Amino acid sequence: MEEIKEILKRYPDRRGALLPTLYIMQREYGWLSQEALQAAADALNLPPATVKGVATFYAMYRHKPMGRHLIQLCTNVACMIMGAERLVDLLKERYGLEPGGTTEDGRFSLVIMECIGACDRAPAMLVDTDFHADLNEQNLFEILEQYK
Amino acid sequence: MIKLTIDGIEVELEKPITVLEAARKAGIKIPTLCYFEGLKPFGGCRLCVVEVEKLPRLQTACTMMAADGMVVKTETEKIKAARRAMLEFLLINHPLDCPVCDKAGECELQDLVARYGPDAGRFREGKRRHPESFDDPIIVRNMERCVLCTRCIRMCEDLQGAYAITVTGRGSHSFVEPFSGGRYDCEYCGNCLTVCPVGAIMSRLHRHSYRPWYIQNNVETVCGYCGVGCTMILQMREGQIVRTIPEMGLGLNNGLLCVRGRFGYDFVQSEARLRMPMIRKDGELREVSWAEALDYVAKRLREISEKHGPQAVGGIGSSRCTNEDNYMLQRLMRFTIGTNNIDSAARLYYAPAQRFLERIFGQGITANLIPGIKNSDGVLIFGGDPTQINPILGLQIRAAGRESATVVTFGRAKGLERFAHYMLPGGPSVIDAVTGMIVQELRDKVQLSGENKWLEGEIQKTRVSEAVEGVSVDEVVERLKEMTNPVIIIGPEVLQSQNSDRTLLLIAQIVYLLNGRVFLLSDRPNYQGCIDMGVLPDMLPGGRPIEMFKHKAEEVMGKEVPTERGLNLFEMIEAASEGRLKALYVMGENPVFNLPDRERVTQALKGLEFLVVQDIFLTETALMADVVLPARAWSEKTGTFTNLERRIQMVRAGAESVEDMGDWRIIAELAQRLGEEKQFRSVEDVWEEITHVSPLHTALDYEEISKGNALWPYNGEPLRGVEEEVEIQGLDDIKPLKVEAVLQPDRPLYHSGSMSRHSKALKSIEDAPKVVIGEALSEKLSLKDGDRVRVTTERGTLKATVSIDSTLGDERVFLSNTFSEGNFSSLATYGVSRLGSMSLDANKVRVEKEEA
Ligand code: SF4
Ligand code: SF4
Ligand code: SF4
Ligand code: FES
Ligand code: FES
Repeated sequence: MEEIKEILKRYPDRRGALLPTLYIMQREYGWLSQEALQAAADALNLPPATVKGVATFYAMYRHKPMGRHLIQLCTNVACMIMGAERLVDLLKERYGLEPGGTTEDGRFSLVIMECIGACDRAPAMLVDTDFHADLNEQNLFEILEQYK
Repeated sequence: MIKLTIDGIEVELEKPITVLEAARKAGIKIPTLCYFEGLKPFGGCRLCVVEVEKLPRLQTACTMMAADGMVVKTETEKIKAARRAMLEFLLINHPLDCPVCDKAGECELQDLVARYGPDAGRFREGKRRHPESFDDPIIVRNMERCVLCTRCIRMCEDLQGAYAITVTGRGSHSFVEPFSGGRYDCEYCGNCLTVCPVGAIMSRLHRHSYRPWYIQNNVETVCGYCGVGCTMILQMREGQIVRTIPEMGLGLNNGLLCVRGRFGYDFVQSEARLRMPMIRKDGELREVSWAEALDYVAKRLREISEKHGPQAVGGIGSSRCTNEDNYMLQRLMRFTIGTNNIDSAARLYYAPAQRFLERIFGQGITANLIPGIKNSDGVLIFGGDPTQINPILGLQIRAAGRESATVVTFGRAKGLERFAHYMLPGGPSVIDAVTGMIVQELRDKVQLSGENKWLEGEIQKTRVSEAVEGVSVDEVVERLKEMTNPVIIIGPEVLQSQNSDRTLLLIAQIVYLLNGRVFLLSDRPNYQGCIDMGVLPDMLPGGRPIEMFKHKAEEVMGKEVPTERGLNLFEMIEAASEGRLKALYVMGENPVFNLPDRERVTQALKGLEFLVVQDIFLTETALMADVVLPARAWSEKTGTFTNLERRIQMVRAGAESVEDMGDWRIIAELAQRLGEEKQFRSVEDVWEEITHVSPLHTALDYEEISKGNALWPYNGEPLRGVEEEVEIQGLDDIKPLKVEAVLQPDRPLYHSGSMSRHSKALKSIEDAPKVVIGEALSEKLSLKDGDRVRVTTERGTLKATVSIDSTLGDERVFLSNTFSEGNFSSLATYGVSRLGSMSLDANKVRVEKEEA
């Protein structure tokens, strides 16, 4: 709440503060559930429908519950050539994790990305906010096993 | 002055308007899809494109302002090609399921494609899928048909002010959805239905039951739910209402309706409607013929009046019946039977409040126009949420607040939360102190006109001896004193306390200080008509006091006006329980249900020798009657209602059912059996007589009324020079009162009670009462929305679901009186306030959480 007040100071009106507020709610609730959207609406005193309209317009918000850790794996050209698609298959074999899905135990979610700007060290991924590159069939799991 | 040429026609404009509007003025119709009159232009569909000389590209006529010297062409090959291309794009994702779409026949997309569209699409890709949603009880949405014109959203946000729906998603995955993604859970005004050009948002009530071209007749009438009196069209097929719709430019509601008007019409088609007269024989109500019933009623009324005198007979008129119906009942009581014992539910707050204000300011003080509210620079609201009680009037306040008006609420007003600039407390404990504080500050800051010396004296006398803690009125007063044409709205929630007279005098002082226009909220369609038709023990038609106008009325009627003082509604109940009143004739009213203290009222009615109830349903009161007479419902009647702005409006029958006679005719038949010579052949005959008897309605006929401008004082003479001094105690010693939580009647948006109880549509939105409490109480009891609670008063306990109103700052607890089970009146008791209205102070209440 304090944080939102701070944000409000930086914008000319309440609507302007919506995008950053949604980020906060996403962080707090894990994803933009109805509850999270309602909380954003209440915090800014905006109509909930308006909040939902804005939230669903942008791709950077999560509209489904996510696992504890979010794997954002790139499969764009460079990464693809360097074997990213094989990694996708492995994730499925090992964890039953499909692109856009979440593991049954709620540990990982997988989102396929378009080029995350690390082509020189492809294939690359982000796990939560950590960056990992030069992935291969072995180190992929070594890295992921650090995330419980 | 601007001059431009459109398709070779020269158009002269007073002020800048869009090219589209200019073309319409010249009689040229430019096709549109996202444009809707009254909504802000959006410029999204690009169907209204036109060629403007000297501009390289096609321009959208709905957004482009007309400029001097412009030369515009609206139908060239280039334009047609552009329109065809736009339509082809729109159809890429459109399911083209016209054969099963209710909109077909009145669909703007269908019409446009027929005129400009391509014969066949060239896109072979699959269409987007989005299943039709039946999540909502009364609205069905099919977003595959949506063309994203955003008309519904602009309607919901900019005119309705509900902000319930929005475009969710992006690109071809954009759909119009409510927040929940399922039920709308909105104000259910259905105004989005009106504006949707395609079959994307539709009513479920008449789904697949007709095609637009099946409608046999369109009948213009006014809504029968509240005192706003919105104009609507009944669309009829085989004697049944298919739907009710508003129309742009028609009536004061100008294209808008509220949920009750839009969806609540189905009660007239309820199975529970009474069809045949009934007489109680051997303790049971048995169906009989009209002749038998009327003969019997006449015989009994004559017997009782002969044996005990006409004073032993009384009548209760109906704020749901027309002026003509009420006039005839009044006539029967006064001139045929010979008693002034006549009153209506207007007694509960409306009539006493109006009388009080008229004593101070003169007759007609509440005759102000609803559409004028949005142009005022200030709106003060006392005593209830207008967006619930009189929704379309409420929209005017929202519009005013959105423009430049300062909106100040006193007490709860949930529907104005987003629009109010100041929300001051206004519960019974503090309302006098808060208004008193305002008077004290305001009186030194504005010029007194000297027009009403007595009132100015009272204004000076006003003294708040103990201010309300934590409330400052300084800022509000600064805004008030700048107002030039403020509006003051007074609702029932400040009119049903023991000392409502003082509250009303304080509000009247503010009215005087600000020179404000007054509106009295009316939760029934025809309180005003009851008053104007003389359905009051002490007033003749035209709002004329008996003692002053007795002779004049006698001259016109050729009959005597009874001299004995009449009993009002409360007194009639009392007289019945004491055995003084022997016979009661109740027309379209349900005192057993609508008055608190059911036990007392039931006992009183049991004490009667003869009870006649004329109604459309077998109500709680009808169940006790000796004779029940089936009447016509609102949509089967012809006559007039007088709304809260005192506008007389035509009520027209969509279809008449042959078996019943309608209230006025039943009474006319009865009067004849009681020796009345005058024949009333049609409702016009009744109106005719009214125009002779009531000095207000002189020479006003239905034709004139049909024009929609039968405004106070019509062609007649208002009563002048009867202003007087009103004695009010304790004006110089106002302080906040210590009150415990009291139970008060809620007047919810979705229901009215007697009629809405039989509306399946309205019940599908809400089918059980809600207990409305404020945040303080909810925190104290750790309750949240939807929790179950027990509500207990001296009269008993009932269980209901909680609804928290963040604008309710005091310890009042509200419960509606709209459902057969769990209604306000079953838990409450009443007294009579010093204002003469019903006083509800005594209903101490306890709310407890019901443990699961
Ligand atoms: S019914 Fe009224 S409140 Fe509900 S979404 Fe439609 S316009 Fe908005
Ligand atoms: S639902 Fe109807 S009114 Fe709303 S955007 Fe779609 S087509 Fe337009
Ligand atoms: S505001 Fe009143 S008159 Fe208008 S539609 Fe609603 S209930 Fe009917
Ligand atoms: S293609 Fe994967 S990081 Fe650029
Ligand atoms: S009507 Fe002008 S752009 Fe849609």
